[in-house]
Amino acid sequence: MRLPPLNRREFLHRSGMGLGLVGLAGMLGRPGFAASPPRAGAHTAPRAKRIIHFFLNGGPSHVDTFDPKPSLAKYAGQALPKTYRTERKTGSAFPSPFKFRPYGQSGIEVSELFAQTASHIDDIAVIRSMVAQVPNHEPSLMQMNCGDALQTRPSLGSWLLYGLGNEAENLPGFVSMCPGGLPIKGAENWQSAFLPGAFQGTYVDSKHTDVDKLIENIRSPHAASGEQRRQLDYLQRLNQAHRTGRIDSRLDARIESFELAFRMQSAATEAFDISAEPAGIRQLYGDTIHGRQTLIARRLIERGVRMVQLWHGAGQPWDNHDKIEENHRKLSGEIDQPIAALLTDLKQRGLLDDTIVMWGGEFGRTPTVEMSGSKSKLGRDHNPYGFSVWLAGGGIRGGTVHGSTDEFGFAAQENPVSVHDLHATILHLLGLDHEQLTYRYAGRDFRLTDVYGDVLHDILA
Amino acid sequence: MTTCRTLACLLALPLLSAVAGENQSGLKGLDWWAFHSPSAERVRSVHSLDGAVESVRKEQGLAGSPEADPRTLIRRVTFDLTGLPPTPEEVSAYLSDSHPEAFARLVDRLLASPQFGEHWARHWLDVARYSDTKGYVYAREEREFVQASPYRDWVVRSFNENLPYDRFLLLQLAADQLVPAETPDLAAMGFLTLGRRFLGVTHDIIDDRIDVTMRGLQGVTVACARCHDHKFDPISTQDYYSLYGVFRSCAERLVSCGEGERKADEAFTQELEARREKLRSGLSKRREEQSARVRGTVREHLLAQRELEKYPEEIFGQLLDATDINPVFVRQWQAFLNAAERKKDPVFSIWLACSRLPTGAFPGQAAEIIKRLPGAHPTVRAAFGTPPNSLEEVAARYGEVFHRIETTWQSWQKEHPGAAALPDPEAEILRLVLHGPESPCEIPDESIVNTEMYFNAGVVVELWKLQGEVDRWLLKQEGAPPHAGILVDRPVPAMPRVFVRGNPLTRGEEVPRRFPQHLAGPGALTFQRGSGRLELARNIADRRNPLTARVFVNRVWMHLYGQGLVTTPSDFGTRSVLPSHPALLDWLALRFMDDGWNVKNLIRLLVVSDTYRQGSAGPSDLASLAHAENTDPGNRFLWRMTPHRLSFEEMRDAWLAVNGDLNLRMGGRPESLFGGSTRRRTLYSFVDREKLPDVLRTFDFANPDLSIACRSETTVPQQALFGLNHPYVAARATALVDRLTGTEADRLNTLYAKIFQRTPTGPEAAAAAAFLKESESAPMTAAAPSPWSYGYGAWDESAGRVVSFTPLPYFNGGAWQGGESWPDATLGWAQLTGEGGHPGNDRAHAVVRRFTAPRKGNYRVSSKLTHEPKVGDGIRAFISHSRLGMVRSTSVHAAAETLDLPSLSFEVGDSLDFIVDIRDSLNSDQFLWSPRITLVNEGGQTGPTFWEAGTDFTRRDVSRLSPWARLAQVLLLSNEFLFLD
Repeated sequence: MRLPPLNRREFLHRSGMGLGLVGLAGMLGRPGFAASPPRAGAHTAPRAKRIIHFFLNGGPSHVDTFDPKPSLAKYAGQALPKTYRTERKTGSAFPSPFKFRPYGQSGIEVSELFAQTASHIDDIAVIRSMVAQVPNHEPSLMQMNCGDALQTRPSLGSWLLYGLGNEAENLPGFVSMCPGGLPIKGAENWQSAFLPGAFQGTYVDSKHTDVDKLIENIRSPHAASGEQRRQLDYLQRLNQAHRTGRIDSRLDARIESFELAFRMQSAATEAFDISAEPAGIRQLYGDTIHGRQTLIARRLIERGVRMVQLWHGAGQPWDNHDKIEENHRKLSGEIDQPIAALLTDLKQRGLLDDTIVMWGGEFGRTPTVEMSGSKSKLGRDHNPYGFSVWLAGGGIRGGTVHGSTDEFGFAAQENPVSVHDLHATILHLLGLDHEQLTYRYAGRDFRLTDVYGDVLHDILA
Repeated sequence: MTTCRTLACLLALPLLSAVAGENQSGLKGLDWWAFHSPSAERVRSVHSLDGAVESVRKEQGLAGSPEADPRTLIRRVTFDLTGLPPTPEEVSAYLSDSHPEAFARLVDRLLASPQFGEHWARHWLDVARYSDTKGYVYAREEREFVQASPYRDWVVRSFNENLPYDRFLLLQLAADQLVPAETPDLAAMGFLTLGRRFLGVTHDIIDDRIDVTMRGLQGVTVACARCHDHKFDPISTQDYYSLYGVFRSCAERLVSCGEGERKADEAFTQELEARREKLRSGLSKRREEQSARVRGTVREHLLAQRELEKYPEEIFGQLLDATDINPVFVRQWQAFLNAAERKKDPVFSIWLACSRLPTGAFPGQAAEIIKRLPGAHPTVRAAFGTPPNSLEEVAARYGEVFHRIETTWQSWQKEHPGAAALPDPEAEILRLVLHGPESPCEIPDESIVNTEMYFNAGVVVELWKLQGEVDRWLLKQEGAPPHAGILVDRPVPAMPRVFVRGNPLTRGEEVPRRFPQHLAGPGALTFQRGSGRLELARNIADRRNPLTARVFVNRVWMHLYGQGLVTTPSDFGTRSVLPSHPALLDWLALRFMDDGWNVKNLIRLLVVSDTYRQGSAGPSDLASLAHAENTDPGNRFLWRMTPHRLSFEEMRDAWLAVNGDLNLRMGGRPESLFGGSTRRRTLYSFVDREKLPDVLRTFDFANPDLSIACRSETTVPQQALFGLNHPYVAARATALVDRLTGTEADRLNTLYAKIFQRTPTGPEAAAAAAFLKESESAPMTAAAPSPWSYGYGAWDESAGRVVSFTPLPYFNGGAWQGGESWPDATLGWAQLTGEGGHPGNDRAHAVVRRFTAPRKGNYRVSSKLTHEPKVGDGIRAFISHSRLGMVRSTSVHAAAETLDLPSLSFEVGDSLDFIVDIRDSLNSDQFLWSPRITLVNEGGQTGPTFWEAGTDFTRRDVSRLSPWARLAQVLLLSNEFLFLD
């Protein structure tokens, strides 16, 4: 029998160093919320340990936020020289009703909608040449979160827990907060697919302030803490006796999981309770739903949570097919301050050095105006051909613009960036090689980036 | 269910893989063992299951374990075969049965019990990615499957009736061609039709069907060949698209598969027929309308062929108007013209020739070309008497030709009602382009699930609504006839072509519909009949198929022994680990087939063996034990029985069963998992793949989006939190101790008998006594009762009070209402949440949020009442004090009103009611009203000084468990309960 030369991946598997083994071995050995602590043996030196993702679901308009297009004014009311098919019919060029100006030393132009965020522009790398595949929410949400528009694939957060484990012993490692209900496609956005269910994102309706509603079964409706402690002592006594003479490490894991659960009841409650924060910090974020959920996100990542997604709201709030001036102003007004506050706060705590902050939607919007018959709706349709996403924090070269769209912002022109590239870059920042982070399912090694993806070295510090 | 070991199952490290060969075709893995049928020769050394296991153990230098004690055995085998614990009576009967065949008789009894089929059906449903819902669908479509529970029940029946496995497979793939219409076996085809809807994108729906068939039944992955040849196994893209062609040639259909109890109910049947008729006529009207539109736009459809890139694939969802050119028809025309070109069709020869000309070639070269096409259809030729100046003009002239022929046909039909053709054969040829069976203007006569992409957005919504009316009538009416989601072969099968790199827009070579070449054995034929689906089924359910029997036998082994002989139960490809006992696997597979694919016999063979009856503690000799633990910690060589951790279903069912509370009614519509009265087996709980309850994910339930042969097994603290804090577990514990009588020792013995089927040991009894003593003597830390209560009643104008305040009976975790479903049969829409609510259906059912003052003092009330909908007539609202009567009243409609009361005096026990009714009519009466109440002056008392309806809403009173119930809860959560030796 002739043996073929080993490639690196096979070598990792055969020598027992494959990530899959580590992730799962972690799960078997320790009954934490997810997996093992981060390993020194990650693929590359990690630049960041965790990520907070502002998901502007519905699709924010790039030409009204981070991608100024003065040329639209020249064509106002006229057809653009080149347009693309989108979900609905659009008409003439629609110049941004918002004012742009340069910020920071880098002088990157940002619109008034994100003026407070823009004060951090020198920490931000704006990718202006993102490309998605189709002009519809559902597949684009799946693409952005799970790397595939239709097939059942694990989300980015699930991959991170699988690859890196969870540092938060008493909290779920991947939390998705959305106030007032679920975004379109619900839990599929943070699904673990073929990875174990423990890697799935935990949904938190951040509208609530009551911890009972934030995490399932976190508080007992039928036993006070002391009573429960007595029950646990009794349970563990029985379990220890049962353990004797049996060969099964799962028994130990389960014994430990009850202790962990007991501790979690207070630890989780504490993590979600922002009343412990000084008044100044609460003011910084603002006393609003979005201020609160952003502040909770910081408390969670401080406690070792690997990924927090902050969705804007139920359904698809940023989907402004009509009256974009009014609607985008209202929406950005809800999150500009919290985002700026988070960046300030992370920086002053030294956490921005190893935390990635990401901002974006599932696609952008058309530079042309959406029509209802022959009438303008004063809004914009979905645009997958070119849009903006920005990253800040751990390993990111701030004050950078990467790529561009065409003169009018309809399609990516210079350095188009696919969602796979974005995912590859995030994994890279977290010390994972997107080509090596694989999971064997259905006879095949799956990756977040399928067979695509290039790390965007230009935006790395 | 025995879940397989996570590590072994999920991470098949290819340590033992043989290196697969490669042949000239470039396909890999041709000489891999699993792709060659098991042969009698290979199994000559095997004479019995135990012998084969023993000989491998010997090779490895391992010793086996002594037989488990009888109590362990009956628990093990009862769970393994039925998913339930034995009753104390069954255990004692078995312990006192000294017959040498006692164990075999026990196994026979279990195999004959109806619960056997339920338990083994659940294993199969994991593979079949069973769900009661379709996953995310656009709001226009009913999200529940009509055909789900009939499929589930069919699987249960099949196991119970011991349907031969080959027949079991045939029916699931092709019952439509094997059994008469409207018979129960049609339900089997849910296997194919219960997958996700993938937003209606055909390629992905087909991909899912290929995956569930090939991975589910054959243990090989074909899905990756969608884009490229399999990297390791002998599966080519041609193979993938051969199968694609089979499923592409089938349409989905919802058909009745039995009578249902409502058969004689005329009102029910009439309504069903009426809804069906609306659907039928709606669909046929819209089909005709849309086809007419395409017939009238031949010119546009021809011109669209020049810019095909503008007409995207299905996943690119454009919202089309009625006047838009629909990409589906453009592609239909494309295929039609391709066929025309191949056939040298005289009607389109001029178009085809002209469309190849460069723009500058008009009119000169065009005239030449047309001249050289003497065979062109005379009418078309006549239209080109003068040479065209551009391709646009060519298209326009075709448009005119077809416009004229359509006009001719319309008037001919008027004059000759019922005419089937035009008399002039030349004209008839043209008419067939517009109306013939292969016309690119036609929409297939199929249900909306297959045809939605042919219509514009508004029509799609309308047609789904009509389909939904039918679906909901069948879903919501008790006793409705069961329906099956079947596939039927289309009249003209599709000729599949490879999609280059999986992209449907770049079509490559044509491939025949046939079975994957290297699994079919030599001489595999192209499928001949219709879609070829029945032939596909026969190829799978064939004893020459190298995989079918092995894959199934291996899965049965896995469920009984904790892991398969092949550790990747849905991947027998070259990257899987070699079987631990290859000869035994083949011996079992051959025996299984020789025995007529008899499933119960197979299970019996595996269970009535010394290997199965081993204890789980390992060899009694310590040196052998240490050696085994060191050399084979994963127990692949079966030196002991691997302990079995209960699955979620087994755990929940056992919690109910140990107190005799499990309702064993079989079949029917799904029910909620933890609803008040739900005591049925977990198998019958509603599986919603879109909103799978967290508890199911937490406990490693099989993801219903994917075919799962082996669940992962994790230990996470959320599982413990569920056990400790979920009311369901506490309720089970309370039920267990409710009827306990006698001395403390009697009670403890009863509990142990029910839960563990044994008596407590001395130390266990002592520990229990200590726990009880401590619990009873510990001071109860009293929690303040909630000041809020939630009820309904009628507003009495004259008294200024609510008459007969009655608490709302049901709390669903987020709302108080009449019952589990909302609206409730008696209390209608009445509901209160933390934020607001909805009044009941008439004035006698106003909803009442009641605050009862916990302390004396002056209170301030601040609140805002909002009623949003513009429709309807709004609501009436009142605030009433138990001593002072009405203190505020108002009506709001599409408005908000601030309702503050600066100061109200309360004695302890006084109450304040916040009342809302429907005003004059029930229509859009939902409201928001979440008062905040502040104690303004308190005389040095302690305690909270404000209460918020919203925040306090779910802060439930701690409803304490008795010390005995807490003890029972501990036993239900113990490792002894959850793990079987």
